[in-house]
Amino acid sequence: MPELIIDQRKIVVPEGTKVIAAAEQLGIMIPRFCYHPALGSLGACRMCAVLFKEGPVKGLEMSCMVDVQDGMVVSTTDPEAVAFRKWIVECLMLNHPHDCPVCDEGGHCLLQDETVSGGHGLRRYRGKKRTYTDQNLGPFIQHEMNRCIHCWRCRRFYQEYAGYHDLGAFGIGNRTYFGRSEEGALSSPFSGNLVDICPTGVFTDKPSRFKGRRWDFERAPTLCLNCSLGCNMVASTRYRELVRMEARLNSRVNGYFICDRGRYGFQYANHPERPRRPTVDGAAAAWEEALHAASERLQAIREKNGRQAVACLGSVRTSLESQARLALLCRNQGWPEPLFFSDPSLSRKTRTAVSRLDSTLAVSMKDMEDADLILVVGSDPINEAPMLALALRQAQRRGAVLAVLDPRPVSLPAAFQHVPIRPSRLRSALCALITNAVPHDAAKLADPGRLQYHQRCARVAAEDREIMEQLAALPVQLRKSRRPVIVCGTDVVPETIPSLAADLALLLKQVKDDAGLFYVLNGANAFGAALLSPPDEPSGTMIENIENGNTRALLLVETDPFNRFPDQRRLRDALARLELLITVDYLPSPALSMAHIVLPACTAFETKAHYANQEGRIQTAWPAYEGGTPLSQVSGGTHPPRSFGDDLPGGESRNACRVLADLDAKLSGREENRHPVDLWNRLEERGVSVPRDFPWDENPEVSARVSVRTPEQPFSPGTLSATHDSVTDGAFSLLLVEWTFGTEELSSCSPAARQAENPPFLTMHAEDAAALGLASGDMVLLHLDDTRLKLGVQVAEKTAKGILILPRHRQLDWQGISRIPAMLFKKHIERTEA
Amino acid sequence: MTFDDLIKGLRKQISETHHPRELAIDVMFALQNRDGYLTDRGLREAADLLGMTLLELEETATFYDFIYREPVGKFVIHVCDGLTCWMFGGEAVTDYLCRKLDITVGETTRDGLFTVLPTACIGYCDRAPALLINRVPYGPLTPEKIDTILADLKSAAFRTNGERT
Amino acid sequence: MSEYVLLQDYHPGRTTSLEKYRRRGGYEGLAEALRKWSSAELRQVITDSGLRGCGGAGFPTGRKWEGIRQDAPLPRYILANADEMEPGTFKDRLLIHASPHMIIEGMILAGYAVSAQKGIMFIRPSYETQARIMEKAVEEARQEGYLGTHILGSGFDFDIKIHRSGGRYICGEASAQIKAIQGMRPRPDKTFHMVQHGLWGKPTIVNNVETLAFVPHIVRKGGAWFQSLAEGENNGGTKLYCISGKVRRPGCYEAPMGTRLSEIIEELAGGMLPGCTFKACLPGGASSSFMTREHYHIAMDFDSLKAVGNRMGTGAIIVFDQNTCLVGATLNLIEYFARESCGFCTPCREGLPFTRDLLRRIEAGEGEESFIPLLKDMCHFMTHAYCAFAQGAATPVHALLTFFEEEVREHVRRKKCPYGTTHRWPGTGIEDSCRN
Repeated sequence: MPELIIDQRKIVVPEGTKVIAAAEQLGIMIPRFCYHPALGSLGACRMCAVLFKEGPVKGLEMSCMVDVQDGMVVSTTDPEAVAFRKWIVECLMLNHPHDCPVCDEGGHCLLQDETVSGGHGLRRYRGKKRTYTDQNLGPFIQHEMNRCIHCWRCRRFYQEYAGYHDLGAFGIGNRTYFGRSEEGALSSPFSGNLVDICPTGVFTDKPSRFKGRRWDFERAPTLCLNCSLGCNMVASTRYRELVRMEARLNSRVNGYFICDRGRYGFQYANHPERPRRPTVDGAAAAWEEALHAASERLQAIREKNGRQAVACLGSVRTSLESQARLALLCRNQGWPEPLFFSDPSLSRKTRTAVSRLDSTLAVSMKDMEDADLILVVGSDPINEAPMLALALRQAQRRGAVLAVLDPRPVSLPAAFQHVPIRPSRLRSALCALITNAVPHDAAKLADPGRLQYHQRCARVAAEDREIMEQLAALPVQLRKSRRPVIVCGTDVVPETIPSLAADLALLLKQVKDDAGLFYVLNGANAFGAALLSPPDEPSGTMIENIENGNTRALLLVETDPFNRFPDQRRLRDALARLELLITVDYLPSPALSMAHIVLPACTAFETKAHYANQEGRIQTAWPAYEGGTPLSQVSGGTHPPRSFGDDLPGGESRNACRVLADLDAKLSGREENRHPVDLWNRLEERGVSVPRDFPWDENPEVSARVSVRTPEQPFSPGTLSATHDSVTDGAFSLLLVEWTFGTEELSSCSPAARQAENPPFLTMHAEDAAALGLASGDMVLLHLDDTRLKLGVQVAEKTAKGILILPRHRQLDWQGISRIPAMLFKKHIERTEA
Repeated sequence: MTFDDLIKGLRKQISETHHPRELAIDVMFALQNRDGYLTDRGLREAADLLGMTLLELEETATFYDFIYREPVGKFVIHVCDGLTCWMFGGEAVTDYLCRKLDITVGETTRDGLFTVLPTACIGYCDRAPALLINRVPYGPLTPEKIDTILADLKSAAFRTNGERT
Repeated sequence: MSEYVLLQDYHPGRTTSLEKYRRRGGYEGLAEALRKWSSAELRQVITDSGLRGCGGAGFPTGRKWEGIRQDAPLPRYILANADEMEPGTFKDRLLIHASPHMIIEGMILAGYAVSAQKGIMFIRPSYETQARIMEKAVEEARQEGYLGTHILGSGFDFDIKIHRSGGRYICGEASAQIKAIQGMRPRPDKTFHMVQHGLWGKPTIVNNVETLAFVPHIVRKGGAWFQSLAEGENNGGTKLYCISGKVRRPGCYEAPMGTRLSEIIEELAGGMLPGCTFKACLPGGASSSFMTREHYHIAMDFDSLKAVGNRMGTGAIIVFDQNTCLVGATLNLIEYFARESCGFCTPCREGLPFTRDLLRRIEAGEGEESFIPLLKDMCHFMTHAYCAFAQGAATPVHALLTFFEEEVREHVRRKKCPYGTTHRWPGTGIEDSCRN
């Protein structure tokens, strides 16, 4: 490991480290513009010039371009280097407009910082400044090209790192222009990162434009809750309004970037109809009153119908503390254990995934970059968990082979093989891969159980005659790989697939240098929900229990069953039958509007809480503000009311955890029941190994994985059982899917994210479309059980046959399906005029 | 050659080459010659023919001096403003042309025939002052010679249907 | 002049035919090399001859060819650089007329020397006429079996394509040229070695066409003969010297490497124009320093010029007389360089317009004393750009301030150009405007 001296301080760093990175480790931030740790070195801006005084390199050189070597002596403060850097800044400022007073970047502008610290002040250039015409780049990014210093970061991020090609560089010299060839919204779902990486104000955050200066904001490290990846962000608030999100570095999870759904999907926290006061039977009430009413009515039901009559539904978007507190509440009150998933199938899949993701197999998104083959099973990353697609791309840039087995017309910003097969055939595909990629070597599969499993897999694969042809080169590639990773979704896949994927990963691990497993779950804290779910399957679904009168009271904690339930009318009828519906939430949801008692909850930005991402990594979200109604909503754009008080307007929302504790205390009449939950104890009780001495809250960057102590048995015969797939002639099965924008619960309530929504359409294979007499762009009436949808059709080549793909889109009234899986026939798909 | 033949010919050329991208500039030049300048439509056709994205081609096209992404006249006059030509009255050549054609540098004459653009150094320093018209060199120039050249081109334009060479 | 090598058949206004070339021994070198020598032997011959690159850098050609490892992958490329956009340089243009087939033969021999299968000639748009000549010559060579498979019955395959540039100075730089050929925005790129990962990631040799044109002759007559043509020690061969400016007979002349500047001006170019006396010259195109009378008799070769702090570059001589304003001349060059800067790195992209603005003001009589140290600093800083473009552009500016500082001061003092030059700022907005 080479050792060098920078500004008279010694440091030893790994081979291949650039001098600029070595300096950073010493706390010396050599000025830079084009260099970025995620984008690498370029050598264009010339800002990082330092003087190499001794050693194998001598003279003024760019510290980002030079690898450290033994014996180097570097000075960042030498007058020659300082003078050169000062001139570089002067050069960059030649054409820079005096925009600071009106530029959003001011206060967190790298150009400002480097200009001041570089020592440049008085203008010596008296010529004209070149100017540009700006473009409308869509709802997220504000474009002001006059400020450009041509650092090339935007183009490199957009094209090289993220793999999208509608933003580039035009022209030549100091007239070079960064933009689109035609005005229009940027197509990349990672476009918001341009705002973070642009060192000046060329690309600024449009939704939060002019809302404040960096020093006006209260900021805190927080987490994105819009999918299960748990990317790290920084929230900024001002005047009781959540103003913007920026990416926060987490070297294991999201790196330096986040996706647009997370960046712009937070505005539900500012929703004007967000519940902010407790209500009882529709009328506003004080907390005491509301809690009292809730406790009384719950007790009444308990007395009349027994403790089993109270059901609780938690959620996948609520914190670990709240989930654990809910479980504790139910235990203390003798109620049935809370459910966290309203869909039992999803619950089973998630719990299997969580159970099988042990620490020997779990990989983070960062780990994935080292894989040489990544197989994605039943997941559509761009639509389900966008940052996963970005991680896949980085792996592919380093030479990894990417393959996706999924019924949808998946697209990725990276070259990949797509095998479009129906969900029911994922089983034979994985079995074929097990059979062909893992050698049937008795010595390695010494365990007879394993050997038997391997043989069963071979039989399953043999039953599907076309699967080997469809898998093409993939089995051979998997066999040749040394460090494969299996990514498995939990949305469209049949219930056996998560464990089958884990079996494949386990088998690969035995015969390869390394193998990894990565699940895409359905919710920010679906992992936690799975951990804290009751170990035994409850009898009957939640809705069945309401319908047959077993459940008389329902407590919803930060959840809305209307979000995913396919039969809206049935759900509405069921909820209407309840004697008591209590909601603790911050979203103005349909369930909330039906509730007898509403208890307003805090969002993740108003309270400190922990969430477990899909990897089992427990991360902390810190409060950015105290909450309350945004000033802009209180004052209607004019001066706020001239009344003064101690309270926080609209600030009555409480941490769900606390609400549950208060309810617990009230119901039991025991103050000791009000105590905060000991999360780690609760998790231990559920069979989760928690590293006790871990400094959980010391540092926002710090996180650790947890996993289940005793996972489900691998290689179980049940895993290979077939899924019933009624492929009757002429029948199409309806596949309900997620989209980047428009389907996810939280971001769908965010006005900024809504602007990026594509109008929903139905997707089908070209052959199916031909059979139905349809072409891309046609409008159809889709007759579902209880609703009729009018929407456009898109025809795709690389999609599974016999499947109609419908997004669970906010703009679609799709929830009129009484049986899942839904089967449709030609008569249900009627071509119509626009 | 009809426009169809041109596209067919380009397609054939592209299919026979190991690296289609190597033909990017040739394709753009061909479509530029066909349409008078490289139009938005021409750029899209080029992208389609080469299997490149519109952006990639636009990024490349806007870099170069001899690819015109805005309308130009039938005869593009690139006046050399290089060092040797400057020493022999290159600026006077530019001034004379502009006065004679009643345009400024960068403009096209009203009849769509001539555009005057600067460029340097065209590599005809032994014939300074020099210029190129549609890449054909002329020099050393005098006002009389310029008159003759312009007149010849004008009458040639009216004689044929103006197919560019 | 002992003997013409490259321009032996040159006739102004005419292009040398294949027959004429063959009558003089054309393609015999190729036949001989294919018959008698291995690739390694051919490389050795070129190395021993001391042939140096004629594109400006003067890098030993044999050493460049040896840079490709034996086990390096195929296919390999020979890139013949006919971009020639250095102001004052037009030798390659003339060479193409003088003998297109000589260049072709040189390319094929270079290909044989490094086991390359593909040759590409990269040519600038203002040489469209010459591009067509080359295309015709390539077709002729194909038909005669000098190009294609099993050339002259050997196991060697080679073919040539003519690649037209869109027109930018930076395309003359090897790594930028690679990108240009690959249909990308050209820019210099130091992250790869041409001989390992050049065009399309394959080993590539980039040679100026003049360099390649010498190869068939060296093959036929030997390195010793080549060295004997030159004047002075450590020199070999002849050189195509371009000379333009205030001389009677501007043109391209072949003379022994190391011929004195005075001889080129007075004998080859017929001396200064009537009424003109020698004030200074640029000996190596726009990226060299002003050479004053002090070195009027200097030997025009790489080492001699380097020894006096100058640069031979392409050997393109531009001669200035007593009535030429050198501030104006320098400004003219900087206008060009600022316009052609690719824009990749800051010192070049911004430093050149900065320099241009200062020189414009000086020339217009609006200059100030403080501009002089500022310009000197900038020249120094511009040497730390990403590639040599900015350094080359800074060279004449630095020379102006070193050798003609008084002329600059006079502009400032008198608040106008003492020579009466009014350099019109091309304020048409063309180079000030944004995207097209």
